[in-house]
Amino acid sequence: MPAHATVIAVNRYSHAVWRRNVLVWRRLMWPSLTTNVLDPLIFLFAFGYGLGAVLDQVGGMDYLSFVVPGMMCYAAMFAASFESTISTYARFSLQHTWDAILATPVTLTELMLGEMSWAATKGAFSACCVIVVGLIWGGVPYLPGVLLALPVLALGAVCFASCGLVATAHAKTWDIFAYFFTFWVTPMFVFSGTFFEVTRFPWFVQAIAWALPMTHLISVVRPLTAGATLDPWIALGHLGYVAALAVAAFTLARYRFGRRLFD
Amino acid sequence: MEGAAAKTPVIEVEALEKRYGAVHAVRGVSFAILPGTCVGLLGPNGAGKTTTMRMIMGLTHVTAGRLRLFGEAPRDLGRGLRERVGLVPQEDNLDPDLSVRQNLEVYGRYFGIEAGQVALRVPKLLDFMQLAERGAAKVMQLSGGMKRRLIIARALISNPELVILDEPTTGLDPQARVMIWRRLLDLKRDGKTLLLTTHYMEEAQRLCDRIIIIDGGKVLDEGTPQQLIDRHVRGHVLEVAKPLPDGFVEDGLERNDIGDAVLYYASDPAEVTRRLPRDATYLHRAANLEDVFLRLTGHSLRQGG
Ligand SMILES: Nc1ncnc2c1ncn2[C@@H]1O[C@H](COP(=O)(O)OP(=O)(O)O)[C@@H](O)[C@H]1O
Ligand SMILES: [Mg+2]
Repeated sequence: MPAHATVIAVNRYSHAVWRRNVLVWRRLMWPSLTTNVLDPLIFLFAFGYGLGAVLDQVGGMDYLSFVVPGMMCYAAMFAASFESTISTYARFSLQHTWDAILATPVTLTELMLGEMSWAATKGAFSACCVIVVGLIWGGVPYLPGVLLALPVLALGAVCFASCGLVATAHAKTWDIFAYFFTFWVTPMFVFSGTFFEVTRFPWFVQAIAWALPMTHLISVVRPLTAGATLDPWIALGHLGYVAALAVAAFTLARYRFGRRLFD
Repeated sequence: MEGAAAKTPVIEVEALEKRYGAVHAVRGVSFAILPGTCVGLLGPNGAGKTTTMRMIMGLTHVTAGRLRLFGEAPRDLGRGLRERVGLVPQEDNLDPDLSVRQNLEVYGRYFGIEAGQVALRVPKLLDFMQLAERGAAKVMQLSGGMKRRLIIARALISNPELVILDEPTTGLDPQARVMIWRRLLDLKRDGKTLLLTTHYMEEAQRLCDRIIIIDGGKVLDEGTPQQLIDRHVRGHVLEVAKPLPDGFVEDGLERNDIGDAVLYYASDPAEVTRRLPRDATYLHRAANLEDVFLRLTGHSLRQGG
């Protein structure tokens, strides 16, 4: 098969998996939309009034402009992580949906690409809800930057989804996801600069923070939406790290699932 | 050309083996299945039937041996081959988040079948499996028999040449079972090749042209139901309860001790009855595949290995 035909086929079959998830989600769309918009609103209300009053300026910008991009990244990270772990594991292990799909022409790589791209879609969707809230409430002063931030957030969501699949590929029971949230999601929530600058932490926490993809993502999204200066080479470095981690994580997850399912 | 192509086995396995770590699930299985036939893989639980089917479907790697589908060695990306096979798995893996109709539609997409084609096939398949009124129902609302029928319909979405059915009727009531048998016979009439596993001798006898008896990961024998009966248990079975009557001379009879009774196999029942005292009680019946199985493995098909 010529290379381009393979790529098109990969798209078609992983797209079928992606569409299956969209179909199921459509029934839950309104509650999902509501919570995705309400959650950041409640957050902003509380933090805006609470912390915003105390912290006037953070990192050279008003607190709202600082925290809203952080929340965009957080929303993308949380939704993509949840979907690629808890939800994917349910389809894999509880409902045997994967077994049914693998008996069709869909390959494991395509199945995983479908699941990963769906988790990333949910992550990007959640981030968009925060963007909408930010546009209403305030916190996104630079509109063209938001447009640039969208693909960046999507890349971040791909990375978080791929990392989630690594956990799912290793999961024998649901217990592993407790560790995943404690040692992966929560640190990215608190140490990656969502609510405070990373530089406030002692050096060893900063070292950990820079290993996390979230820190790199926020470092790009925040200057974009705030309209601050951003060195394109530095931005490329951050995005390169996120992309490399996504590829490495997906490859590892593919290897693990392959061993697990076929050996 | 036509004749040669028709004789290429749909499935051909040679010395097929599977190890799951320390578990040697399949230990060198060989058989060939010709197009248009229905072959039954018969064996107790743990015999290696499901594992054999999963290897054929590419759902688990082959540890050793050779496997050919439609005359070709399937590779990891053997998409062309997979489009020609439908699987009815042993356990229910219908999509619980989707309706009956959606289960078929979504499955059609996994096969890369275009939407227009799927839309044509779905109502026909629902009709065929007598699920037409249940199209909008949730999978959870279906009875066990309906779920099984939906899984069969789903396996047919790509109009496959080969259908592999892993215990399609286990746990169903007799009516539901008979309905599925009729449909499988329809498929056979359409020229499809069927490979099925079952615990039910009657099912095997009704549907299968050939039977492969498998136990402990090995093929014990194969042939048509009649060949197997003739070869292993003659035509008749006489069951004599223990203790055996005084003066009964067993020498030269084919026997099988089943604990509280002894089974004697004979092509003519008189071979046994004339040796029995006049007042002795015994049961006489035609030999069936269950007897073949008991004879070959020393245990019955349902009780497991
Ligand atoms: N994924 C697996 N991992 C380890 N052992 C397995 C696995 N699947 C099946 N087995 C073992 O392989 C043997 C054959 O199982 P199986 O093929 O399911 O038999 P059958 O379908 O005839 O009941 C059994 O001993 C079973 O416990
Ligand atoms: Mg089985």
